[in-house]
Amino acid sequence: MGALEQLVVSTVLLGGIYALIAVGLTLIFGIMRVVNFAHGEFLMLGMYLAFWSFTLWGLDPYLVLFVAVPIFFVVGLLTYALVMRGVIRASHNVQIFTTVGLSTVLQNAALVAWTGDFRFVRPWHSGVVLRIGDAAFNLSQVVAFLVAALFTAALVAFMKWTRAGRIMRATAQDVEAATLMGIDTDRVYRLAWTIGLVCVGIAGVLMSPLYSVYPTAGLQFVLLAYVVVVLGGLGDMMGALIGSLIVAAVEVIGSYLFGSAWKEVIYFVLFIAVLVFRPAGLFGQRGAETLGA
Amino acid sequence: MLELESVTKRFGGLTAVKDVTFRAAPGEILGIIGPNGAGKTTLFNVVSGFYAPDGGRVRFDGRDISGMSPHDICVLGLTRTFQLVKPFGNLSVLDNVMIGALTRQRSVSAAREEARRVVATCRLDAFAQSRARSLPIGLRKRLEVARALATRPRILLLDEVMSGLNPAELSEMIMILRGLHADGLGLIVIEHIMAAMMRLAQRIVVLHHGEKIAEGRPEEISRDPRVVDAYLGEEFVLADA
Amino acid sequence: MIGRREWPALVVFGAAALAPLVIRDGFLLDSLILILLWGAVSGAWNVAGGYAGQVSLGHSAFFGLGAYSAALLATRFHQSPWLGLLVGAVLATLAGLVIGYLANRLKGPYFGLATIAFSQVLLILASRWRAVTSGSEGIPVPFRPGLWTLGFQSKVPWVYLILALAVCVYLVARYLETSRPGYQLAGVREDEDAAEALGIPSRRLKVAAIAVSAALTSVCGGLWAQYVGFVDPFYVFSVDLSVRFALNSIIGGIGTAIGPFVGSFLITSLEIYLRATFSDFKAGLIGIYLIIYGCLLIVVVRFVPQGLVGWLGERLRAVGRYARA
Repeated sequence: MGALEQLVVSTVLLGGIYALIAVGLTLIFGIMRVVNFAHGEFLMLGMYLAFWSFTLWGLDPYLVLFVAVPIFFVVGLLTYALVMRGVIRASHNVQIFTTVGLSTVLQNAALVAWTGDFRFVRPWHSGVVLRIGDAAFNLSQVVAFLVAALFTAALVAFMKWTRAGRIMRATAQDVEAATLMGIDTDRVYRLAWTIGLVCVGIAGVLMSPLYSVYPTAGLQFVLLAYVVVVLGGLGDMMGALIGSLIVAAVEVIGSYLFGSAWKEVIYFVLFIAVLVFRPAGLFGQRGAETLGA
Repeated sequence: MLELESVTKRFGGLTAVKDVTFRAAPGEILGIIGPNGAGKTTLFNVVSGFYAPDGGRVRFDGRDISGMSPHDICVLGLTRTFQLVKPFGNLSVLDNVMIGALTRQRSVSAAREEARRVVATCRLDAFAQSRARSLPIGLRKRLEVARALATRPRILLLDEVMSGLNPAELSEMIMILRGLHADGLGLIVIEHIMAAMMRLAQRIVVLHHGEKIAEGRPEEISRDPRVVDAYLGEEFVLADA
Repeated sequence: MIGRREWPALVVFGAAALAPLVIRDGFLLDSLILILLWGAVSGAWNVAGGYAGQVSLGHSAFFGLGAYSAALLATRFHQSPWLGLLVGAVLATLAGLVIGYLANRLKGPYFGLATIAFSQVLLILASRWRAVTSGSEGIPVPFRPGLWTLGFQSKVPWVYLILALAVCVYLVARYLETSRPGYQLAGVREDEDAAEALGIPSRRLKVAAIAVSAALTSVCGGLWAQYVGFVDPFYVFSVDLSVRFALNSIIGGIGTAIGPFVGSFLITSLEIYLRATFSDFKAGLIGIYLIIYGCLLIVVVRFVPQGLVGWLGERLRAVGRYARA
């Protein structure tokens, strides 16, 4: 059945990108235990980075990737030092309003600097349509998926097999024990935050040919990312990957059935539904007790 | 007055409380002791409504209260304190106690009067206007008791109110609790430290791995081989009173 | 209830009441109205966010419901906007019950995220459901002179109307500071488990607080719609607006009755000043003051979490202790 093939292909391609956003968020949430309301804004910044590079210098987004990694790394270090470091151990309210404040600043900085006009990044490959059987998709989607998958795999490998990754996972499991073992938790948090931002910034660059770019573009994606992270279980990388596929599937099928205009409603309703009915995620993860009443 | 009948509570694969049965008569001081992890606090959580039992029943004055909400159970006359004390940190000591009193009093002024009385009973007068957050642990424990007391319970469930107190604070607390008992208040006291329990309890229930392994008067319990066995490895517990 | 504690409010509201007698300038009166209005909304938010401890980032949902109710009843059904206020309050209360249910299921940041999602669902509905809401173009609110239709030629009646609203919100807050349910709510806010153990029905109280907050917010929205004359879904349901309600309270003093008004005075004045100064720079300007707000939020919530009024209160108490010593 042609439609089914299309849906599957679209789901996989979309899921790959969501995975990249989600694993970054999982890292931040799982290790720092902070809900970053500004996560979507870094995605938006990645999109604008791609847009301006493309518009001013004709750089293809995939080239921009190489620059994006160090740029977002620096952005991560800066925002951590200026904003996040002071609130890691603060109350929920302080954390909420700090990242909400950050979100407001970034959104409106983009608005002031670049106006609210919808922008588009349309390199040559966004017009190339590929086909497998009855499924049609464009080259940009495929490359985005491949790059996202690559980064995600690299991140998972990093967390699993490197010393730094093990240290971060240890800190996620038990901060006090980690401190007692001599782990510098401040560095761990900084690294988690920074890697998380690099992931979502890159995701923004990859997504720029596929979506429109505007200052509040981050909002729908941040909620989506949280659906993924919650569904997959907080702090669990594999869960985030599976959650990404599920959410992508819901979006693709939902758009197919109801039209893409109602896509956002689907995100939001899905978000509330997951939080209410499955706060522990599909796999019932540790940390979920902080969600329910 | 308070009856537990085969109360069981499971968490996933772990049975925290298994088939526990005992009674507390009106106005008596009943102690619950057991090594760490014996299920004492879980038992309190079930009795006070924070957990619903997976098996068995809890009856208060003949009425089945299993699975009722904590606030309804409090209104019926059963109030509990928390092992890790939970003061209303940003409010004054008096306000803390007053909020407890508001469960029985309709007006704020009546509640405040009641709170002053209770604060006096618990020897907290000097700190009435202090922020709860600023109190040291000994006084926080006393505040925890005072606040619970203000709800005019008929049975008070005290969860380790004596641990962390220095000897002087300990004596004060025991004096306060004895005074409450003399006024007819029933007390069910979880304690980890046998020595304190011996001075206070009329009867003791011993839990181990979630099961009741002994019940009786303090002297009987301290000689019971099963109890001694359970506490093996726990250092300063069986010190003579 | 009128006592020593009320003097800040008497000063603030008294000054507002006397202002129209001395000020004739329409622009300044307009500023006063906006300050009072945003103060009232923030005060309404504070009922849930400050007093009940339920930090909502989606209060624009209630504001928008009120604005749309007033606008739709006036335009589509040709009813008095006063009826619109009532309808809006009922709708908002129902929505508040939903949010209250969420508050009992979700903690802290997750509740915040869910409230954002809720407000955005309403935004999409309002901007897409052309049949009912005229879609994304918004609804112009017709001006029809008369008390019943809330059509006033001069700004002065508006000053007193909004002042009355502000005083109502203030009194609700004071009620929460001095009444039985208010103290019990404070217990729930400080430690919900402890409050439950003391006989306080925490879930019920939280839901009630949120419902009251929602109803008040929607009344503010309805009056705002009448005053401003136009309802744009992308504004009334925006996240920025929700954040602004919280911002005023945080800057002024979350959990104090007069705090939201103090915060609104500072923030709204800043906005009006910037708007007036950079009036040629339309879109850019809007961004600038929001950037300032964002920075303020980050700084204040970290270094002065009790807000201006809270901070002043502590200073005064410290001085009092020093004087007594």
